[in-house]
Amino acid sequence: MKPFLALLLTAAVSTSALAATDPRTVPTQLPQAWQTKTRDVFKQAIEIPTVHHRGQMHKMATLLANQFRAAGIPDADIHFMPYESLPGDQTEAVIIRWRSPNATKKPMLILGHMDVVEAKREDWKFDPFVFREEGGYFLGRGTSDMKNGDVATTMAAVKLMSEGFKPDRDIIFFYSGDEETKGQGATLASTKWRNLTDAEFGLNADGGCGAYDRQFRPIGCAVATSEKTFQTYFFTTHNPGGHSSRPRPDNAIYDLADALEKLRTHRFQPMMNETSRGYFEERARQEGNSQLGQAIRRWLANPNDGQAADAIEANPLEVGLTRTRCVATMLKAGHADNALPQSATATVNCRIFPGVQPKDVQAELQAMAGPKVEVTPDPNFSGMLSPASPLRPDVLAAVTAAIQRFHGPGMRVYPAMSTGASDGSFFRAQGIPVYDVDGSWGISPDDERAHGLDERLPVRAMYDDVLHWEMVIKALAGPGGATQASVPAQPSAPPERG
Amino acid sequence: MRHLLAATALASFASIGSAAPPALSQAQHDAAHAMFEHVIDTPTVIGRHRTPEMAQFVADQFKAAGFPAEDIHVLPYHTESATTGGDDTAALIVRWRAAGTPKAKPIMLMGHMDVVEAKPEDWSATDPFKMVEKDGYYYGRGTTDMKDGIVAITQAMINLKAAGFKPQRDIVVLFTGDEETNGIGARNGATQWLDLLGHPEFGLNADGGGMSFNTDGGPAGATMQTAEKTYAGYTLTVRNRGGHSSKPRKDNAIYSLAHALDKIEAYRFAPTLNETTRAYFAGREKLEKGPLGDAMRKWLANPKDGEAADFIEASESEVGLTRTRCVPTRLFGGHADNALPQLATAMINCRIFPGVDPNAIKAELERVVEDPEVVVSRNDDYVASLASPLRPDVTAAYTRAVQTLHPGMPVFPEMSTGASDARPFRVAGVPVYGVNGGWTVTPIDNRAHGKDERLPVKSLYDNVVHWELMLRDLAGK
Repeated sequence: MKPFLALLLTAAVSTSALAATDPRTVPTQLPQAWQTKTRDVFKQAIEIPTVHHRGQMHKMATLLANQFRAAGIPDADIHFMPYESLPGDQTEAVIIRWRSPNATKKPMLILGHMDVVEAKREDWKFDPFVFREEGGYFLGRGTSDMKNGDVATTMAAVKLMSEGFKPDRDIIFFYSGDEETKGQGATLASTKWRNLTDAEFGLNADGGCGAYDRQFRPIGCAVATSEKTFQTYFFTTHNPGGHSSRPRPDNAIYDLADALEKLRTHRFQPMMNETSRGYFEERARQEGNSQLGQAIRRWLANPNDGQAADAIEANPLEVGLTRTRCVATMLKAGHADNALPQSATATVNCRIFPGVQPKDVQAELQAMAGPKVEVTPDPNFSGMLSPASPLRPDVLAAVTAAIQRFHGPGMRVYPAMSTGASDGSFFRAQGIPVYDVDGSWGISPDDERAHGLDERLPVRAMYDDVLHWEMVIKALAGPGGATQASVPAQPSAPPERG
Repeated sequence: MRHLLAATALASFASIGSAAPPALSQAQHDAAHAMFEHVIDTPTVIGRHRTPEMAQFVADQFKAAGFPAEDIHVLPYHTESATTGGDDTAALIVRWRAAGTPKAKPIMLMGHMDVVEAKPEDWSATDPFKMVEKDGYYYGRGTTDMKDGIVAITQAMINLKAAGFKPQRDIVVLFTGDEETNGIGARNGATQWLDLLGHPEFGLNADGGGMSFNTDGGPAGATMQTAEKTYAGYTLTVRNRGGHSSKPRKDNAIYSLAHALDKIEAYRFAPTLNETTRAYFAGREKLEKGPLGDAMRKWLANPKDGEAADFIEASESEVGLTRTRCVPTRLFGGHADNALPQLATAMINCRIFPGVDPNAIKAELERVVEDPEVVVSRNDDYVASLASPLRPDVTAAYTRAVQTLHPGMPVFPEMSTGASDARPFRVAGVPVYGVNGGWTVTPIDNRAHGKDERLPVKSLYDNVVHWELMLRDLAGK
C-alpha cells in the first residue's frame, strides 16, 4: 500500500474525506431534467457510428446543430462543412457561432471532434455502438473520446441560452469529422475556414482533464498546453515468396518479426521541457515518498538520470511523458494461406517529443530495424510540430474554479503535455493557443479505454461536465470575464441530493 | 538462349526414345494432337464454368471409340470455398469392364481436368488458352499440369481398344474438375462415387510421377509418387485489452505474436524417413556426387544423424522432404494506426509428414510457442495423409514402361510436399501411385502454375505409349 499523500492530508483536511469516497458514487449536481436531456443526446451520439468511411458524420453534425437550433441559434450561424479526409472518406465538420449582443472581446473557440476510432463487435463484450448504462458507467465507443465532450459543450450552451445568458464575446463551436484519422477538418478550420473560426484562444473538449487513482485520491486536472507530434511509420519487408510447401530460408514475416522484437525493447532518449517539468513538479508533490515520487524528484534534480526517467516511464500513469514513444499498432502480410509472403508491413505509431523532428525519429527507427526493413512515414498524415500555448491566467482560473467545485481543492490544476494528438495542434501551429479543459474524469488507469475495448465514462463525469462547461463559459465569456471567474463560481443550480 | 539450348537438347532426348519399339500410328498421333489442342484451348479455370464442357468432350472421345455409353458418366458437381470462389464443375468416370470374370478389383486411372488461372498479359508471347507449337514445345496452360496426362490416358485406352486388348480386370477412369482448388471431386470419388468406381484396388495418378532430363541431356530420374504430406492450416491468435497508442502498454498483441513467430522461425521438426523417402534418397544419392549426396548417404546410414538431415533440408532441391515444415504465410493485426492492437493473428501453413496427426502438430506448435497468451487453433479438419506401400507390381510396371522408352533412366519413389487428389483415396484405404510418363527438361521446363507453361512435343506421344505399356502390364494378365 502506497503512503497516502502527505500534502493533501495536511493542506486540505476537508479533502481527505472526499478523497476516500468513491467519486463515482457522489451524486451529480446536474438537475434531473437536464440529466434526461443530456442522456438522450449522448445516447443518440454514441449510436451513430462515426468511424471513417462510414458516411455518418452529417447525421452526427445535425444532431449537435439541432440542439443549438432549438435553443435559438439561427440557421445563418450554423455551417455544415463537408470535406474529404482519407481518400474516399467524405466527412463533415460543423461550425456554430453563438453571437454576443454586445461583444467586448475577441471570439472564443470551443472545439471537439465527432469521429471515433473503429470498434469491432467481435472484439468487445457488447455492441460498441449501442449505448449502455451499467454499474455507474456509460459504455460505448466515444463515451470518453469524445462524444462526452461534444455533448457537454453543446448542452452547457443550450442550458445557458435557456437561462437567458448573454455572452460578452462570440463563442464559436467547432466540431470536426476526422480528428482520429487525418485532421483535415482542423487543418481547414485553422486556415481556409479561418473567417468562421478566428478566435483569441481555443478550449478543447477532447479528453477529460481530471483523474482519480484506484484509492480514489485525486490525481489532478492536467490542462494540456502542448502535445507530442503524431507520426505513423510503416515497417515493410519484401521477399520473392514462393510455394509454402517449400519454405525459403528468408521470409518477409520473419524479417518483420525480428524488427518488431527490436522495437519492443527500444527506448528513445529521455527529455524534459518547461511544460513537463511543471507537470512533474506537481506529480512529485502528489506522490510524496512513493517510489514514483522519488524517481520524479531524482529526475527533476538531474535530467541526465536516465534510470530515473525509465522508472517514471514504466509507471502506467506516466507512460509517454518522458520521451518519444513508438509502438506497433497494425500488421498485414501475405496474400494466400498457401503462398510464402511477398511482403509484410507493420504500422508503427509514434508520439514524438515536442521539438524533435519526425525525420530524425525515422532515421533512428531505420538504424534500429536494420537494412532488411524499409521504414517510411505515413503519407496520409505528416506530423506537425506545434508550439506550447502560453498559460493564460483567465483560462487557468476558470478551469480551476470549475473543477474544484466538483472535486474539491485536492483536484489541483496544472499544465501538461498531451501524449495524444488532437485538433488543437493545427490551431496552435496557426497561432491560436488551445487549452484542453474538458471537465470529465475517470479512475486511472482502469477507465483509460479511449481507442480500446469496452470504452466507458462514469455517469457522473458526463453530467457534471455540462455544469463544468457552463461555469467555464460563464467565466470566460460572461460579464466581468476573467476577474470574476477567478473567484470560485457558483453552480447555476443547487446541488441535487438523492 | 536457354530456349535454343533446350531445342538443341530436345533432339538428343528424342533419340533416347527412338530406340524403343512401340510407336503411334500417324492417325493415333494426329488424334492425340487434336484432342490436346482442344482441351488446352478450353480454359478450365475455376469460375469460368468450362470444365463440364471439357468432361463432355473427353467422354465423347471414349464413346466414339466404342466404349459403351452406360459406362461413361459425366458427373456435374459444385466446388466452392471462401478463398477460391465457386464453380459448377464436373468429373468424368469411364469404366472399361474386364472380359469375362475379373481377376482382381479394378485399377483406377486418375487425373484432373481443371487448371490454375493464367493471364495473357503475364505470359511472354502466347495466349495461355490457345495452344501453340514452337521450338519443339507445346505452349499453353495445362500442357504439363496436367492435360497431357488426361490425353495420354484417354488416347492409350482408345488405342488399346482398337488393338483388341482385353483387360483382365476393370480399368476405371476418374478425371476430376477441381484438384487445383478444393478437391471436392476426389473427396466424392473416395466416398459417394466409390460404387461407380467399382472399389478399386489401387489408383494410378497421372498427376504425379514423370521424368526429367538435365539441360545437358543426361537423365535426372523418373519418380513415382507414393506419398504426400498433409496440408494443414493453423492460426496463432493473441488478444489484448488494447488502448490508446500514445500510452503503450507493457504487453502488446503484436509483440507477443512477433515473439512467437521468432520461436517458430528457429524451430525444426524432428527429421523423419519413411519407406518412400528412404527409397527416394537412395535413388537421389546415386545422382548426387557432392556434399548433398554425402549428407544423403550419411542420413540413410544413420537416420538419427540430424545434422545430415538438416543439411539435406537446407538444399533448395530437397526442401520439405526430410520432415514436417510449418511457415507463417499471412499476418493480420490491429484496427487503427493510433490504437494499441486488441487482436493479432498469424496464419501458419504446415506440410506434415505422412502419418502424423495434424492435432499432434497443433500440440507441438503450442509447446514451441510456449506462451498462454498465444492461442493455437486449426483452420481445417484435414486428417493425416498416408503413404501408399510400395507395390512390387506397380513399381515393376512403371520401371519397365519408363525404361522401355528411356533406357538407363533411374526410377525412384517420391513424397510430394504439395497436396493432390490422391489424399482422400489414400486415407480411405485405396493406395495411389503417381506414375505419369511425361517428361521435361529441368529446371527450365518447371513451369506448372507459372507463366509460359510448356511440354516437349515428343513427351505427349511418349506418354500415350507409356500408359499403353503400363495397362498391358497391370491389366493384361
